[in-house]
Amino acid sequence: MISDLLLSIFNADFLYSVIRITAPILFAALGAVIAEKAGVVNIGLEGIMMISALFGVLFGYWTQSWLIGVIGAVVIGVLLALLIGFFAFEMKTDIILGGIAVNMLGAGGTIFLLDMFTGMKGNTGSLVTRELLIPTVDIPLIKSIPFLGQVLSGHAVLTYLAFLLVWLMWVVIYKTPLGLNIRAVGENPNAATSIGVSVQKIQYIAIGLSGALAGLGGAFMSMYYSQGWNSGMVAGRGFIALAATAMGRGEPLGTMLSSLLFGLAQALRTKVSGMQGVSSYLVSVIPYLVTIIGLVLYAISTKNKLKKRHTATKGAE
Amino acid sequence: MSDKNLFLFNILRGLAAILLALAVAAVFIFISSDEPLTALKYLLLGPVVSFKATGNVFNTTSFLTILAAMIPTIFSGLAVCVMFSANQFNLGGEGAIMLGGFVGALLGIYLKMNTGLHQVVCVLGGALAGGLIMLIPAILKVKLGASEMVTSLMMNYVVMFVILHFLNFVFADRSKGATQTFPFQETAKIPEIIANGTKLTWGFVVALIFVVIIALFMYRTKWGYAIRMIGINQSFAQYSGMQVGTVIILSQVIGGMLSGMGGSIEVLGRFGTFLWRELPGYGWLGITIAILAKNNPIFVPFAAFFIAYLNKGCNLMATYSDVPSEMIDIIQAAIFLFFAAEQFLAKYRQRIVVHNAQRDLALQEAAASQGGSNS
Repeated sequence: MISDLLLSIFNADFLYSVIRITAPILFAALGAVIAEKAGVVNIGLEGIMMISALFGVLFGYWTQSWLIGVIGAVVIGVLLALLIGFFAFEMKTDIILGGIAVNMLGAGGTIFLLDMFTGMKGNTGSLVTRELLIPTVDIPLIKSIPFLGQVLSGHAVLTYLAFLLVWLMWVVIYKTPLGLNIRAVGENPNAATSIGVSVQKIQYIAIGLSGALAGLGGAFMSMYYSQGWNSGMVAGRGFIALAATAMGRGEPLGTMLSSLLFGLAQALRTKVSGMQGVSSYLVSVIPYLVTIIGLVLYAISTKNKLKKRHTATKGAE
Repeated sequence: MSDKNLFLFNILRGLAAILLALAVAAVFIFISSDEPLTALKYLLLGPVVSFKATGNVFNTTSFLTILAAMIPTIFSGLAVCVMFSANQFNLGGEGAIMLGGFVGALLGIYLKMNTGLHQVVCVLGGALAGGLIMLIPAILKVKLGASEMVTSLMMNYVVMFVILHFLNFVFADRSKGATQTFPFQETAKIPEIIANGTKLTWGFVVALIFVVIIALFMYRTKWGYAIRMIGINQSFAQYSGMQVGTVIILSQVIGGMLSGMGGSIEVLGRFGTFLWRELPGYGWLGITIAILAKNNPIFVPFAAFFIAYLNKGCNLMATYSDVPSEMIDIIQAAIFLFFAAEQFLAKYRQRIVVHNAQRDLALQEAAASQGGSNS
């Protein structure tokens, strides 16, 4: 019976949905990665995703082009992130409070803005037509491989972009002068200043990039995943992304793996909640619980490492 | 004295930040509304004035409902004050409030007790539940260094879904169409101070008492001092021999207990049965209130009043004009940004400090030269 259950869960469709569900979390989590590398905490990812998601739909509708919609979402994401940056760096507002402010804008401000621009209440209804959705693509060769093709091919353009960005992010952080500066600023701002790096400029760039990535995540949500914007849409994904980054040790690859774990947990929830005799509420807990457990495991392993290093240095003495 | 000038400056700066936030709101209203003046009238005056053809009169009932709306947010504001004072960005107030409300509700439904004692037991039960749940992020932070911000955020969702599970599958009153618990026993309900339907219950008095208790705790006890000192400089606190870990845990458990207490008092005072289907939002309001109060418990009721007033104003505005009530979030966000901005109007602060320093120096020199002539 259990094997039946497992078989009915772990099929190609399911794995396909894991990848689809992971993508928006991954976008935001990569945003958290780049911010964290520069020593900036961007807790506003959730709000940025909400607002970008809304503007992605609006720009797409106004111009009747999904691409301009996505670009608009990214621009809005960058502007919001820079707003947090401006208040944090220039006005010395605590950056966590700045992030919470943007989250508030995301929760209620979006409903206000939607009403202001379109007169609609709480969701964008029919604004998103089939032509305005982010298109999916089939990958020529992989498509025809039996199982793998079903899992890996036929995703939205942005899904592939999300995973491509993992690699790109790694390159930027570890192989470019900008990445070097970002890491320097994050690890030791004083040292960075002493060699003539403008800490503030680098932090603006980092938080701006994190906003762009969260903007992509938002666009993915409204212009592909839920096919329209509604007020409960992002549902904590921005926060889960923060957790994924913490669990992935702030590294692109690790963050991708932990994002996949959350994607798996959420896909499982969708799958299992339709079954008889299973409480959909308890299943809904899974992704959040996995996050906490993951954080704890990560914290324990860090602590052990530190201990080992301590005993090792003591032994050397 | 210099302190007096700076104090005055801080108050003026706070007012300026609030005015700026309201100005931002006004800009949005003028852009979005066809009747901006009506909207503004209801936003700013509606909460305490009834507009009648015969003239405008003070609306006592509405004023009392604003006071009633402060009950849960005073508690959540106090909770955030204590936790943020220790520099712990614990955002789990939402979950603790909902859990406290749920536990209080269950005790109010299933326990058999005399009125008076029953309410106390329910509220204490809610407080205990809130305190216990906050132990989790607190201990994970202190023992393992896991970010309390992320764990507490995740916990909010865990708490919500687990409550919804129990609500739907264990404690549901199946005779009702909607999913809700059985009604509270009369002995558990928290009565209104004056029975007039404004929901201004004795919980309001309890909330004010706790304002005093928490203020005394933070500024007149060694534990409160330790919490504030850890918030200002954790290393210093550690080197001077404070039990940093214990105090950090304590601050968050107190935060959780206050939240849970607020949740249970709100549920038992406002409703006849447990009705929350989602996180109630008082935890986030508590953060806004704590920021407005600059983490000082004494200012919490004023900040809570201001937020409750604005909230009411926004609701009235949505009812009587074409501006949606979610305006409140835009105002709150603007308050957040400007009010918490240390550099906002910092030039003037600098000027006051310099002015005071120069004056003090001049006084000292005068004193010194006088001393010289005397000898």
